[in-house]
Amino acid sequence: MSEYILEIKNVTKMFHGLVAINDLSMKVKKGQIYGIIGPNGAGKTTLFNCITGIYTPEMGQILWKGKEIKGTTPYKIAELGILRTFQTIRLFAEMSVAENIMSGRHIKSKQKWYNGVIPTPAYFKDEKEQWMKVGELMEFFNLSQYATTPAGDLSYGVQRRIEMARALAAEPELLILDEPAAGLNEHETQELTDTIRKIQAMGVTIMMIEHDMEMVMSLSEYITVINFGAKISEGLPSFVQDDPVVVEAYIGSDEEDEHE
Amino acid sequence: MMNKTSMIALVLLLISGVYPFFVDSAWLAIGTTFLVFSCVAFSQDIILGRAGVFHMGHAMFFGLGAYTTAIMNVQFGLPILASWAPAVLIPMFVAFVLAGPIIHLRGDYLLVATIGFNIIFIQVLENDVFGLTGGPNGIFGIDVVRLFGFEFASQTYMYYMAFILLGITLFIMRTLDRSKFGRAMFYINKDEIAAQSMGVSVRYYKLYAFIIGAGIAGAAGSMFSVQYSAVSPEAFDVTQSIMFFTIVLVGGSASLPGVLIGTFIMFVLPEVFREFETARYLVFGLAMILTMILRPRGIWPVRFGNIPNFLKKDVK
Repeated sequence: MSEYILEIKNVTKMFHGLVAINDLSMKVKKGQIYGIIGPNGAGKTTLFNCITGIYTPEMGQILWKGKEIKGTTPYKIAELGILRTFQTIRLFAEMSVAENIMSGRHIKSKQKWYNGVIPTPAYFKDEKEQWMKVGELMEFFNLSQYATTPAGDLSYGVQRRIEMARALAAEPELLILDEPAAGLNEHETQELTDTIRKIQAMGVTIMMIEHDMEMVMSLSEYITVINFGAKISEGLPSFVQDDPVVVEAYIGSDEEDEHE
Repeated sequence: MMNKTSMIALVLLLISGVYPFFVDSAWLAIGTTFLVFSCVAFSQDIILGRAGVFHMGHAMFFGLGAYTTAIMNVQFGLPILASWAPAVLIPMFVAFVLAGPIIHLRGDYLLVATIGFNIIFIQVLENDVFGLTGGPNGIFGIDVVRLFGFEFASQTYMYYMAFILLGITLFIMRTLDRSKFGRAMFYINKDEIAAQSMGVSVRYYKLYAFIIGAGIAGAAGSMFSVQYSAVSPEAFDVTQSIMFFTIVLVGGSASLPGVLIGTFIMFVLPEVFREFETARYLVFGLAMILTMILRPRGIWPVRFGNIPNFLKKDVK
């Protein structure tokens, strides 16, 4: 097995003949924070949807720990240890915060098929364990006070935290964050940055799409830049930041001022 | 200290426990049917209210249970008790076989498919397939429950058997709601993509809901056939399915008190207004229209946040 936990090899995804992702390749190392940037509509979210099984690419390979996972259904991808958040928050809005986070414990729960109808001692033990874990996560993400509040009633920043807590509850090996800082204020973004570092310290590999350049440059260890579905640059943040191709993609070739 | 809901539940339990001693036989029969229909409504609620599957053929599973008991008893001379397990298992098996190929369909398409199943079921019954179903007239002369030479023949026994069945149903609903299975159904219902991304197999849990729902409906059907000692096709047609569907929406999807209220309004109230003949169905229709306008989530909507107390310590 290679040192890369996730390898994307020459992936192409088309929608009705339009190319959304074009011959894209990247390699993510275990334990890394991997940044993906690019203008709107570049195909970043489509890439995440391909990795998590929502879309199946027409060509190429997606290797998870060396094994092909292209075309695997989303729930099996989650069982493999790849969990995600969504660009447009997708919480179970009417359900309480605790119940939302509990959904992350679904794949870790050991309840047997008959436990939906018949409780057994093992079921009670398992149920308690999973709720305990939810309690820990609510504390980690500072959500305990909202335990019984419907997730949809809370502010945007809090909802983003719930979504991360929910994904983390499944004890992922790879956490995929789709614009985690979108809609957050400066203070919340700073908190998020700290949280992502803490998650990395737990040994979780992180892939992240983000438009907040300051944040993505400070967090990422490696960055791929996508435009029109294709990779236009990759490397360390310091390299990508000054790559003329990237600057052109973001600002346009006619612009004089290259720095933000 | 008890909360308001448990108080109401306790009072209702006491009233329904002594109900047979205070009413005449007509009202006793209505009470029994109310209990049986509540079980069916709850089983519909597992599929519709929890898993969010627009299933409008539930009378078929109810009928399968009823006909299983009727056929085993009248055509094959087996005791009622021997038919109880098959009356649960056959609907479950049929649910598995029929729902499998349609479970991936989106809401409205699935609804049409389930109505189709219900219509075919009625056709099978009316055409007296294999000479077992008795055709349009159905099957008469179903026995009473006998155990060790004792006959549970009176309507009061019938009432308490239905009472116990409802108790078992409520126990199952409660267990389901507090297990990963019930929660998975809610996650699918609220956001299918998010649920899948958390590792929930949409297909598995929708089928699970169908199979459990069919089993409970089958048990209720068996009870129903013994109560009236007869079964006939029109009791299990699409109109009946629409009623079970409506009970859940009017009462409140996934809400235990809501479904009981729904059953009461849709079934007992029309009985109260029986003297007004067919005009009583005005109640039925008006309840549906008014509830959907005024309380789209049902008369007693479900409340989430049913979590262990130790997680509530920081809640202000």
